[in-house]
Amino acid sequence: MNASDSDEELYNERSALVPSENPEVPSYRPDPDHSPTEDSDSKTTGFSRRTRPGGGSEREAEPEEEEEEELPLKYGAKHVIMLFIPVTLCMVVVVATIKSVGFYSEKTTQQLIYTPFTEDTPDVGRRLLNSVLNTVIMISVIVVMTILLVVLYKYRCYKFIHGWLILSSLMLLFWFSFMYLGEVFKTYNVAMDYVTVAVLIWNFGAVGMVCIHWKGPLALQQAYLIFISALMALVFIKYLPPWSAWVILAAISVYDLVAVLSPKGPLRMLVETAQERNEPIFPALIYSSAMMWTVTMANPADDQPSETDEEAELSGRRAEPQRRQPGPILEDELEEERGVKLGLGDFIFYSVLVGKAAATGGDWNTTLACFVAILIGLCLTLLLLAIFKKALPALPISITFGLIFYFSTDFLVQPFMDNLVNHQFYI
Amino acid sequence: MNLERLPNEEKLSLCRKYYLGGFALLPFLWLVNVVWFFKEAFVKPPFTEQTQIKTYVKRSGLGLFCWVTILTTWITIYQHFRAQWGEVGDYLSFTIPLGTP
Repeated sequence: MNASDSDEELYNERSALVPSENPEVPSYRPDPDHSPTEDSDSKTTGFSRRTRPGGGSEREAEPEEEEEEELPLKYGAKHVIMLFIPVTLCMVVVVATIKSVGFYSEKTTQQLIYTPFTEDTPDVGRRLLNSVLNTVIMISVIVVMTILLVVLYKYRCYKFIHGWLILSSLMLLFWFSFMYLGEVFKTYNVAMDYVTVAVLIWNFGAVGMVCIHWKGPLALQQAYLIFISALMALVFIKYLPPWSAWVILAAISVYDLVAVLSPKGPLRMLVETAQERNEPIFPALIYSSAMMWTVTMANPADDQPSETDEEAELSGRRAEPQRRQPGPILEDELEEERGVKLGLGDFIFYSVLVGKAAATGGDWNTTLACFVAILIGLCLTLLLLAIFKKALPALPISITFGLIFYFSTDFLVQPFMDNLVNHQFYI
Repeated sequence: MNLERLPNEEKLSLCRKYYLGGFALLPFLWLVNVVWFFKEAFVKPPFTEQTQIKTYVKRSGLGLFCWVTILTTWITIYQHFRAQWGEVGDYLSFTIPLGTP
């Protein structure tokens, strides 16, 4: 089975880590002469405010200079956790499937049309050459698709892009999940009839389309995005030849770096155009973990996850400070925390790395090492995002760490541990 | 999508669309409707549209219950009688378990 073309854009636009839209949050301090330049700091003060809820009564006395002393970090530990959880979930789904359902780690003679060169040759040099050639073809396909998407976006061919995205999510949600379900049933030797399967897949797919492309509960949308990333990663793990997969991972992190950071990079242009036009990037390409916090006098901080439209927000919020009485300060304050957005391509490639480690690596050591490496990379990337405050590629650091950890664990640590155990030598 | 942000009319419209959508053989949509709008319909203090949202949630719940019973019945029948049905059973089957039962 060859994966179709409509898969391509699923991952080429998705490798970006973007700070969510960055509106001016209106000041919620009662002082009418509070300068607007401190608005950007009000977000960071949100953290410190929440950590001292009892200090509300002294707030009137708090000098305004305290805001300038706040760290210029826009994102903190909370955002890191908000991304760790979905990335971990995606990887868990992929690893669980690989370990239990044999289908996805079986060797297959079929290959995607994007990797035409076979790796069945006994000659190492030839095999290496073939994998490099496969990578070149794959990356050029991705580059072409990315540029096509950016051009379409620039010239406002929204209908075409929407149609393309809908088609590809249709295929993922229906066809790939159908295959996945079939394989799971075969693994567990369960009989299933077409009627039930049809109802299940129809429901799963239709609700997925509604949630992703229209309106739905945020948690469900996030769950669907995680699942389709996992499905895509499984397809890659199955159909990419082994050595090509590693070279492709390395190459795509380099490409990601170039595409997001260089001034003419397609992904950078996509993000900038979206920000200029004040539009959210298509929901089918990005995972959003936005949250909103509301602090009032009576209730403790009540957080609800939300995917917000900042502009409508702001007009509502600006009215708030004016109509507040100059009474107790904490009454009816509204703080907003913007979440971080992570492209779905990042999920996919992280899961491909961990999945391949689980499928072909030694044992759980390798898998866990790769998992930890990716999370460390993600942490560092978020740190950089907080410092630089603009869209950053999420792949390079994590994939580099992941690759280093995979190869070193597989070839160095694993035999070392086995030898130690063989000789009953505990360190 | 955060329900807190929406004005009540939009909540009602969303609830109605989910309810109507469920008639396209989509009990999952009804389930999502029930879970998502449960707080709005039953826990929140009354607002104008709440009665209508309540009816939609109740009807979605009812529809969901019907579907669950139908599906459970069919699955039980199928699993129990599949081997006995011979050819028809195989024709209906998506996956056939290996080995002897």
